[in-house]
Amino acid sequence: MTESNVPETLLRYVANDLRPVRPLAPPSRRALALVPLGVALLVGAPAFWGLRQNLNDLGAALAWGVSGLQSLAGLVVVGFALRESIPGRELPRGRLAALLTGGASLMVGITLWTSVVVPTAVPPGADWRYFWECFGMAVGPGVVAVTVAAWMASRALPARPAVAGSLYGLGAGLMSDAGARLFCWVTSPAHVLLAHGGVIACLMLLGAGVATVVERRRPSLRHGRGNYSISFGR
Amino acid sequence: VLEDDDCEDLVALMTSYQAGQVRAFERLYALLAPSLFRYFESRSAHVASDLVQETFLQIHRSRHTYTPPLPVQPWVFGVARNVERRHWRRSRRQEGRLLDLEGMDRTAVALGARASSRVDLGDLEDVVRRLPASGRDAWLLHHMHGFSFPEIGARLRIEAGAARLRAHRTMSAIRELLGIARRKRND
Repeated sequence: MTESNVPETLLRYVANDLRPVRPLAPPSRRALALVPLGVALLVGAPAFWGLRQNLNDLGAALAWGVSGLQSLAGLVVVGFALRESIPGRELPRGRLAALLTGGASLMVGITLWTSVVVPTAVPPGADWRYFWECFGMAVGPGVVAVTVAAWMASRALPARPAVAGSLYGLGAGLMSDAGARLFCWVTSPAHVLLAHGGVIACLMLLGAGVATVVERRRPSLRHGRGNYSISFGR
Repeated sequence: VLEDDDCEDLVALMTSYQAGQVRAFERLYALLAPSLFRYFESRSAHVASDLVQETFLQIHRSRHTYTPPLPVQPWVFGVARNVERRHWRRSRRQEGRLLDLEGMDRTAVALGARASSRVDLGDLEDVVRRLPASGRDAWLLHHMHGFSFPEIGARLRIEAGAARLRAHRTMSAIRELLGIARRKRND
Protein backbone atom coordinates (compact mmCIF):
# COMPACT_ATOMS: atom_id res chain seq x y z
CA MET A 1 0.00 0.00 0.00
CA THR A 2 1.21 3.51 -0.71
CA GLU A 3 0.11 6.22 1.68
CA SER A 4 -2.09 7.95 -0.88
CA ASN A 5 -3.89 4.86 -2.12
CA VAL A 6 -6.97 3.73 -0.30
CA PRO A 7 -6.51 0.19 1.05
CA GLU A 8 -8.84 -2.18 -0.71
CA THR A 9 -10.73 -3.31 2.41
CA LEU A 10 -11.41 0.26 3.45
CA LEU A 11 -12.45 1.35 -0.01
CA ARG A 12 -14.78 -1.61 -0.41
CA TYR A 13 -16.36 -0.93 2.95
CA VAL A 14 -16.83 2.78 2.24
CA ALA A 15 -18.17 2.15 -1.27
CA ASN A 16 -20.71 -0.38 0.00
CA ASP A 17 -21.84 1.85 2.84
CA LEU A 18 -21.75 5.22 1.05
CA ARG A 19 -24.98 7.15 0.81
CA PRO A 20 -25.72 10.86 0.88
CA VAL A 21 -25.82 12.40 4.34
CA ARG A 22 -27.12 15.76 5.47
CA PRO A 23 -24.51 17.74 7.42
CA LEU A 24 -25.40 18.62 10.98
CA ALA A 25 -26.79 22.13 11.31
CA PRO A 26 -24.56 24.66 13.10
CA PRO A 27 -24.63 24.25 16.90
CA SER A 28 -26.43 27.56 17.38
CA ARG A 29 -29.27 26.43 15.15
CA ARG A 30 -29.41 23.01 16.79
CA ALA A 31 -29.60 24.66 20.19
CA LEU A 32 -32.70 26.50 18.98
CA ALA A 33 -34.42 23.12 18.83
CA LEU A 34 -34.29 23.21 22.64
CA VAL A 35 -36.30 26.44 22.85
CA PRO A 36 -39.63 24.62 23.30
CA LEU A 37 -38.10 22.53 26.08
CA GLY A 38 -36.64 25.66 27.69
CA VAL A 39 -40.06 27.34 27.58
CA ALA A 40 -41.68 24.20 28.98
CA LEU A 41 -39.21 24.13 31.89
CA LEU A 42 -39.71 27.83 32.52
CA VAL A 43 -43.49 27.82 32.41
CA GLY A 44 -44.32 24.17 33.12
CA ALA A 45 -42.68 23.87 36.56
CA PRO A 46 -44.49 26.86 38.16
CA ALA A 47 -47.69 25.90 36.33
CA PHE A 48 -47.49 22.41 37.85
CA TRP A 49 -46.24 23.26 41.36
CA GLY A 50 -47.87 26.70 41.60
CA LEU A 51 -46.35 30.17 41.38
CA ARG A 52 -44.39 31.44 44.39
CA GLN A 53 -46.56 33.31 46.85
CA ASN A 54 -44.34 36.40 46.84
CA LEU A 55 -44.17 36.72 43.05
CA ASN A 56 -45.81 40.15 43.11
CA ASP A 57 -43.21 41.44 45.59
CA LEU A 58 -40.47 40.50 43.16
CA GLY A 59 -42.08 42.25 40.21
CA ALA A 60 -42.32 40.98 36.66
CA ALA A 61 -38.77 41.95 35.74
CA LEU A 62 -37.08 40.16 38.63
CA ALA A 63 -39.40 37.17 38.41
CA TRP A 64 -40.17 36.40 34.75
CA GLY A 65 -37.54 38.64 33.18
CA VAL A 66 -34.60 37.26 35.13
CA SER A 67 -35.84 33.68 34.83
CA GLY A 68 -36.17 34.17 31.07
CA LEU A 69 -32.62 35.53 30.98
CA GLN A 70 -31.33 32.57 32.99
CA SER A 71 -33.14 30.14 30.68
CA LEU A 72 -31.64 31.89 27.66
CA ALA A 73 -28.19 31.68 29.24
CA GLY A 74 -28.73 27.94 29.74
CA LEU A 75 -29.67 27.58 26.10
CA VAL A 76 -26.51 29.41 25.03
CA VAL A 77 -24.39 27.12 27.23
CA VAL A 78 -26.03 24.05 25.64
CA GLY A 79 -25.23 25.57 22.23
CA PHE A 80 -21.56 25.78 23.23
CA ALA A 81 -21.73 22.18 24.45
CA LEU A 82 -23.01 21.13 21.02
CA ARG A 83 -20.15 23.03 19.43
CA GLU A 84 -17.67 21.36 21.81
CA SER A 85 -18.96 17.99 20.60
CA ILE A 86 -17.92 18.60 16.99
CA PRO A 87 -14.42 17.40 16.04
CA GLY A 88 -12.01 20.28 15.59
CA ARG A 89 -14.35 22.84 17.16
CA GLU A 90 -13.44 22.27 20.80
CA LEU A 91 -13.61 25.39 22.94
CA PRO A 92 -10.36 27.05 24.02
CA ARG A 93 -9.66 26.77 27.73
CA GLY A 94 -10.25 30.47 28.30
CA ARG A 95 -13.70 30.40 26.78
CA LEU A 96 -14.52 27.22 28.62
CA ALA A 97 -13.52 28.76 31.94
CA ALA A 98 -15.51 31.91 31.08
CA LEU A 99 -18.60 29.82 30.34
CA LEU A 100 -18.37 27.81 33.56
CA THR A 101 -17.67 30.80 35.79
CA GLY A 102 -20.20 32.90 33.89
CA GLY A 103 -22.94 30.30 34.41
CA ALA A 104 -22.14 29.96 38.10
CA SER A 105 -21.84 33.72 38.58
CA LEU A 106 -25.19 34.31 36.91
CA MET A 107 -26.88 31.90 39.28
CA VAL A 108 -25.18 33.35 42.35
CA GLY A 109 -25.82 36.92 41.20
CA ILE A 110 -29.53 36.31 40.65
CA THR A 111 -29.77 34.59 44.04
CA LEU A 112 -28.15 37.47 45.89
CA TRP A 113 -30.15 40.10 44.01
CA THR A 114 -33.42 38.30 44.74
CA SER A 115 -32.55 37.83 48.42
CA VAL A 116 -31.85 41.55 48.80
CA VAL A 117 -35.11 42.63 47.13
CA VAL A 118 -37.38 40.13 48.91
CA PRO A 119 -35.65 38.53 51.90
CA THR A 120 -37.41 35.33 52.95
CA ALA A 121 -36.02 32.46 54.94
CA VAL A 122 -36.80 28.80 55.39
CA PRO A 123 -39.04 28.25 58.47
CA PRO A 124 -36.99 27.14 61.49
CA GLY A 125 -36.29 23.42 61.59
CA ALA A 126 -37.45 22.84 58.00
CA ASP A 127 -34.11 23.32 56.25
CA TRP A 128 -33.63 19.76 55.09
CA ARG A 129 -37.27 19.25 54.13
CA TYR A 130 -37.17 22.37 51.98
CA PHE A 131 -33.83 21.29 50.56
CA TRP A 132 -35.12 17.91 49.43
CA GLU A 133 -38.40 19.30 48.16
CA CYS A 134 -36.73 21.90 45.94
CA PHE A 135 -34.03 19.47 44.89
CA GLY A 136 -36.57 16.84 43.90
CA MET A 137 -38.83 19.29 42.08
CA ALA A 138 -36.00 20.82 40.04
CA VAL A 139 -33.90 17.77 39.29
CA GLY A 140 -36.58 15.88 37.33
CA PRO A 141 -37.08 18.46 34.58
CA GLY A 142 -33.31 18.99 34.52
CA VAL A 143 -32.72 15.29 33.85
CA VAL A 144 -35.10 15.52 30.89
CA ALA A 145 -33.10 18.46 29.51
CA VAL A 146 -29.80 16.63 30.04
CA THR A 147 -31.18 13.57 28.23
CA VAL A 148 -32.26 15.59 25.20
CA ALA A 149 -28.97 17.53 25.11
CA ALA A 150 -26.99 14.29 25.49
CA TRP A 151 -28.81 12.78 22.53
CA MET A 152 -28.09 15.86 20.43
CA ALA A 153 -24.42 15.91 21.41
CA SER A 154 -24.02 12.18 20.78
CA ARG A 155 -24.87 12.74 17.11
CA ALA A 156 -21.45 14.39 16.83
CA LEU A 157 -18.14 13.00 18.07
CA PRO A 158 -16.93 14.81 21.20
CA ALA A 159 -13.20 14.65 21.76
CA ARG A 160 -13.70 15.65 25.42
CA PRO A 161 -17.01 14.04 26.32
CA ALA A 162 -16.79 14.94 30.01
CA VAL A 163 -16.32 18.60 29.13
CA ALA A 164 -19.20 18.59 26.65
CA GLY A 165 -21.39 16.75 29.18
CA SER A 166 -20.56 19.17 31.99
CA LEU A 167 -21.47 22.06 29.73
CA TYR A 168 -24.83 20.72 28.69
CA GLY A 169 -25.46 19.69 32.30
CA LEU A 170 -24.80 23.30 33.32
CA GLY A 171 -27.08 24.58 30.57
CA ALA A 172 -29.85 22.14 31.51
CA GLY A 173 -29.41 23.07 35.18
CA LEU A 174 -29.74 26.77 34.48
CA MET A 175 -32.87 26.16 32.38
CA SER A 176 -34.38 23.96 35.06
CA ASP A 177 -33.57 26.40 37.85
CA ALA A 178 -35.12 29.24 35.85
CA GLY A 179 -38.48 27.51 36.35
CA ALA A 180 -37.71 26.39 39.91
CA ARG A 181 -37.14 29.94 41.15
CA LEU A 182 -40.66 30.79 40.03
CA PHE A 183 -42.27 28.27 42.39
CA CYS A 184 -39.84 28.30 45.33
CA TRP A 185 -40.66 31.36 47.45
CA VAL A 186 -37.55 31.11 49.64
CA THR A 187 -34.82 33.61 48.74
CA SER A 188 -32.32 32.80 51.49
CA PRO A 189 -28.95 32.36 49.71
CA ALA A 190 -28.09 29.34 51.84
CA HIS A 191 -31.18 27.47 50.67
CA VAL A 192 -31.02 28.60 47.05
CA LEU A 193 -27.33 27.95 46.59
CA LEU A 194 -27.44 24.60 48.34
CA ALA A 195 -30.67 23.15 46.96
CA HIS A 196 -31.01 24.87 43.57
CA GLY A 197 -27.26 25.18 43.01
CA GLY A 198 -26.92 21.55 44.08
CA VAL A 199 -29.29 20.57 41.28
CA ILE A 200 -27.09 22.37 38.75
CA ALA A 201 -23.96 20.73 40.15
CA CYS A 202 -25.61 17.30 40.05
CA LEU A 203 -26.78 17.83 36.48
CA MET A 204 -23.24 18.80 35.47
CA LEU A 205 -21.92 15.58 37.00
CA LEU A 206 -24.73 13.62 35.37
CA GLY A 207 -23.98 15.22 32.01
CA ALA A 208 -20.27 14.45 32.29
CA GLY A 209 -21.03 10.84 33.26
CA VAL A 210 -23.62 10.29 30.55
CA ALA A 211 -21.40 11.80 27.85
CA THR A 212 -18.46 9.65 28.92
CA VAL A 213 -20.52 6.46 28.98
CA VAL A 214 -22.13 7.24 25.60
CA GLU A 215 -18.70 7.89 24.11
CA ARG A 216 -17.23 4.68 25.52
CA ARG A 217 -20.15 2.63 24.28
CA ARG A 218 -19.86 4.04 20.78
CA PRO A 219 -19.49 1.10 18.38
CA SER A 220 -15.89 0.09 18.07
CA LEU A 221 -14.28 0.45 14.64
CA ARG A 222 -11.58 -2.18 14.54
CA HIS A 223 -13.28 -4.63 16.81
CA GLY A 224 -16.45 -4.06 14.94
CA ARG A 225 -19.96 -4.28 16.09
CA GLY A 226 -22.60 -4.71 13.45
CA ASN A 227 -22.13 -2.62 10.36
CA TYR A 228 -18.81 -1.15 11.35
CA SER A 229 -16.96 -4.40 11.59
CA ILE A 230 -13.83 -4.22 9.51
CA SER A 231 -10.53 -5.97 9.93
CA PHE A 232 -7.29 -4.48 8.80
CA GLY A 233 -4.83 -6.82 7.25
CA ARG A 234 -1.54 -7.01 9.07
CA VAL B 1 0.79 21.41 5.08
CA LEU B 2 -1.64 21.75 2.22
CA GLU B 3 -1.72 24.70 -0.18
CA ASP B 4 -4.67 27.14 -0.14
CA ASP B 5 -6.03 25.62 -3.36
CA ASP B 6 -5.94 22.19 -1.78
CA CYS B 7 -7.85 23.51 1.24
CA GLU B 8 -10.57 24.82 -1.06
CA ASP B 9 -10.48 21.48 -2.84
CA LEU B 10 -10.97 19.74 0.49
CA VAL B 11 -14.19 21.61 1.20
CA ALA B 12 -15.53 20.78 -2.27
CA LEU B 13 -14.41 17.18 -1.92
CA MET B 14 -15.95 16.85 1.51
CA THR B 15 -19.23 18.23 0.17
CA SER B 16 -19.15 15.74 -2.70
CA TYR B 17 -18.30 12.95 -0.28
CA GLN B 18 -21.27 13.89 1.90
CA ALA B 19 -23.36 13.76 -1.27
CA GLY B 20 -22.29 10.14 -1.74
CA GLN B 21 -19.42 10.24 -4.25
CA VAL B 22 -16.83 7.57 -3.64
CA ARG B 23 -14.31 9.30 -5.93
CA ALA B 24 -14.34 12.24 -3.54
CA PHE B 25 -13.42 9.88 -0.69
CA GLU B 26 -10.52 8.48 -2.68
CA ARG B 27 -9.24 11.98 -3.43
CA LEU B 28 -9.63 13.02 0.19
CA TYR B 29 -7.65 9.97 1.23
CA ALA B 30 -4.90 10.87 -1.21
CA LEU B 31 -4.71 14.44 0.10
CA LEU B 32 -5.04 13.77 3.81
CA ALA B 33 -3.55 10.34 4.49
CA PRO B 34 0.10 11.48 4.32
CA SER B 35 -0.35 14.25 6.90
CA LEU B 36 -2.40 11.93 9.12
CA PHE B 37 0.29 9.28 8.81
CA ARG B 38 2.94 11.79 9.88
CA TYR B 39 0.76 12.88 12.79
CA PHE B 40 0.35 9.33 14.08
CA GLU B 41 3.91 8.34 13.25
CA SER B 42 5.23 11.07 15.55
CA ARG B 43 3.16 9.64 18.41
CA SER B 44 2.90 5.89 17.94
CA ALA B 45 4.92 4.84 14.93
CA HIS B 46 4.20 1.10 15.11
CA VAL B 47 0.45 1.53 14.65
CA ALA B 48 0.42 4.69 12.53
CA SER B 49 -0.81 2.92 9.43
CA ASP B 50 -3.68 1.23 11.28
CA LEU B 51 -4.66 4.46 12.97
CA VAL B 52 -4.79 6.27 9.63
CA GLN B 53 -7.25 3.66 8.39
CA GLU B 54 -9.26 3.85 11.59
CA THR B 55 -9.39 7.60 11.23
CA PHE B 56 -10.78 7.33 7.72
CA LEU B 57 -13.29 4.78 8.91
CA GLN B 58 -14.35 7.18 11.66
CA ILE B 59 -14.41 10.05 9.15
CA HIS B 60 -16.75 7.96 7.04
CA ARG B 61 -19.00 7.25 9.99
CA SER B 62 -18.99 10.83 11.22
CA ARG B 63 -19.00 12.59 7.87
CA HIS B 64 -22.32 14.24 8.72
CA THR B 65 -20.62 16.16 11.57
CA TYR B 66 -18.58 18.23 9.12
CA THR B 67 -20.31 21.51 8.29
CA PRO B 68 -19.31 23.14 4.99
CA PRO B 69 -17.68 25.57 4.33
CA LEU B 70 -15.62 25.32 7.54
CA PRO B 71 -12.00 24.21 7.03
CA VAL B 72 -11.73 20.44 6.66
CA GLN B 73 -8.34 19.86 8.25
CA PRO B 74 -9.20 20.87 11.83
CA TRP B 75 -12.23 18.59 11.63
CA VAL B 76 -10.16 15.68 10.29
CA PHE B 77 -7.51 16.10 12.99
CA GLY B 78 -10.24 16.39 15.60
CA VAL B 79 -11.46 12.97 14.45
CA ALA B 80 -7.86 11.72 14.49
CA ARG B 81 -7.40 12.84 18.10
CA ASN B 82 -10.58 10.99 19.01
CA VAL B 83 -9.33 7.82 17.31
CA GLU B 84 -5.96 8.17 19.03
CA ARG B 85 -7.58 8.59 22.43
CA ARG B 86 -9.63 5.45 21.90
CA HIS B 87 -6.53 3.59 20.79
CA TRP B 88 -4.71 4.50 24.01
CA ARG B 89 -7.70 3.57 26.13
CA ARG B 90 -7.93 0.22 24.35
CA SER B 91 -4.20 -0.36 24.78
CA ARG B 92 -4.35 0.40 28.48
CA ARG B 93 -7.25 -2.03 28.88
CA GLN B 94 -5.35 -4.77 27.06
CA GLU B 95 -2.23 -4.13 29.13
CA GLY B 96 -4.37 -4.43 32.22
CA ARG B 97 -5.69 -7.78 31.06
CA LEU B 98 -2.21 -9.04 30.29
CA LEU B 99 -1.08 -7.97 33.75
CA ASP B 100 -4.07 -9.84 35.11
CA LEU B 101 -2.86 -12.92 33.27
CA GLU B 102 0.56 -12.52 34.87
CA GLY B 103 -1.23 -12.12 38.17
CA MET B 104 -2.78 -15.53 37.61
CA ASP B 105 0.70 -16.97 37.81
CA ARG B 106 1.50 -15.19 41.07
CA THR B 107 -1.85 -16.14 42.52
CA ALA B 108 -1.25 -19.80 41.71
CA VAL B 109 2.02 -19.68 43.61
CA ALA B 110 0.46 -17.79 46.48
CA LEU B 111 -2.29 -20.34 46.83
CA GLY B 112 0.32 -23.05 46.87
CA ALA B 113 -1.64 -25.09 44.37
CA ARG B 114 1.49 -26.94 43.36
CA ALA B 115 5.14 -26.25 43.89
CA SER B 116 5.77 -26.38 40.14
CA SER B 117 2.74 -24.37 39.10
CA ARG B 118 4.50 -21.22 37.93
CA VAL B 119 3.00 -20.43 34.55
CA ASP B 120 5.39 -19.53 31.87
CA LEU B 121 4.02 -18.09 28.68
CA GLY B 122 5.38 -21.01 26.65
CA ASP B 123 3.32 -23.48 28.71
CA LEU B 124 0.28 -21.28 28.48
CA GLU B 125 0.60 -21.00 24.72
CA ASP B 126 1.01 -24.74 24.45
CA VAL B 127 -2.09 -25.41 26.55
CA VAL B 128 -4.16 -22.85 24.67
CA ARG B 129 -3.22 -24.49 21.36
CA ARG B 130 -4.49 -27.85 22.59
CA LEU B 131 -7.94 -26.51 23.44
CA PRO B 132 -10.94 -26.80 21.08
CA ALA B 133 -10.99 -23.89 18.63
CA SER B 134 -14.49 -22.70 19.52
CA GLY B 135 -13.70 -22.10 23.18
CA ARG B 136 -10.17 -20.95 22.50
CA ASP B 137 -11.36 -18.18 20.17
CA ALA B 138 -13.81 -16.84 22.72
CA TRP B 139 -11.16 -16.97 25.46
CA LEU B 140 -8.49 -15.28 23.35
CA LEU B 141 -10.84 -12.58 22.12
CA HIS B 142 -11.97 -11.77 25.65
CA HIS B 143 -8.88 -12.22 27.80
CA MET B 144 -6.13 -11.32 25.37
CA HIS B 145 -7.77 -8.81 23.05
CA GLY B 146 -10.22 -7.16 25.39
CA PHE B 147 -13.42 -7.73 23.41
CA SER B 148 -16.68 -7.64 25.28
CA PHE B 149 -18.93 -10.71 25.14
CA PRO B 150 -21.52 -9.01 22.89
CA GLU B 151 -18.67 -8.13 20.51
CA ILE B 152 -17.38 -11.69 20.57
CA GLY B 153 -20.89 -12.99 20.01
CA ALA B 154 -21.30 -10.77 16.96
CA ARG B 155 -17.95 -11.85 15.61
CA LEU B 156 -18.44 -15.58 16.14
CA ARG B 157 -22.16 -15.38 15.28
CA ILE B 158 -23.25 -16.76 18.63
CA GLU B 159 -25.17 -15.34 21.59
CA ALA B 160 -23.22 -13.18 24.05
CA GLY B 161 -24.11 -15.64 26.80
CA ALA B 162 -22.70 -18.53 24.79
CA ALA B 163 -19.49 -16.58 24.26
CA ARG B 164 -19.23 -15.96 28.00
CA LEU B 165 -19.80 -19.65 28.72
CA ARG B 166 -17.17 -20.76 26.21
CA ALA B 167 -14.60 -18.32 27.59
CA HIS B 168 -15.37 -19.41 31.13
CA ARG B 169 -15.12 -23.12 30.33
CA THR B 170 -11.87 -22.54 28.48
CA MET B 171 -10.45 -20.61 31.43
CA SER B 172 -11.40 -23.48 33.72
CA ALA B 173 -9.75 -25.97 31.34
CA ILE B 174 -6.59 -23.86 31.19
CA ARG B 175 -6.44 -23.66 34.95
CA GLU B 176 -6.90 -27.39 35.20
CA LEU B 177 -4.26 -28.17 32.58
CA LEU B 178 -1.78 -25.81 34.20
CA GLY B 179 -2.61 -27.07 37.67
CA ILE B 180 -3.66 -23.67 38.94
CA ALA B 181 -6.19 -23.54 41.73
CA ARG B 182 -9.22 -21.32 41.21
CA ARG B 183 -8.66 -17.87 42.60
CA LYS B 184 -10.63 -17.03 45.70
CA ARG B 185 -12.93 -14.01 45.31
CA ASN B 186 -11.17 -12.06 48.06
CA ASP B 187 -7.74 -12.38 46.45
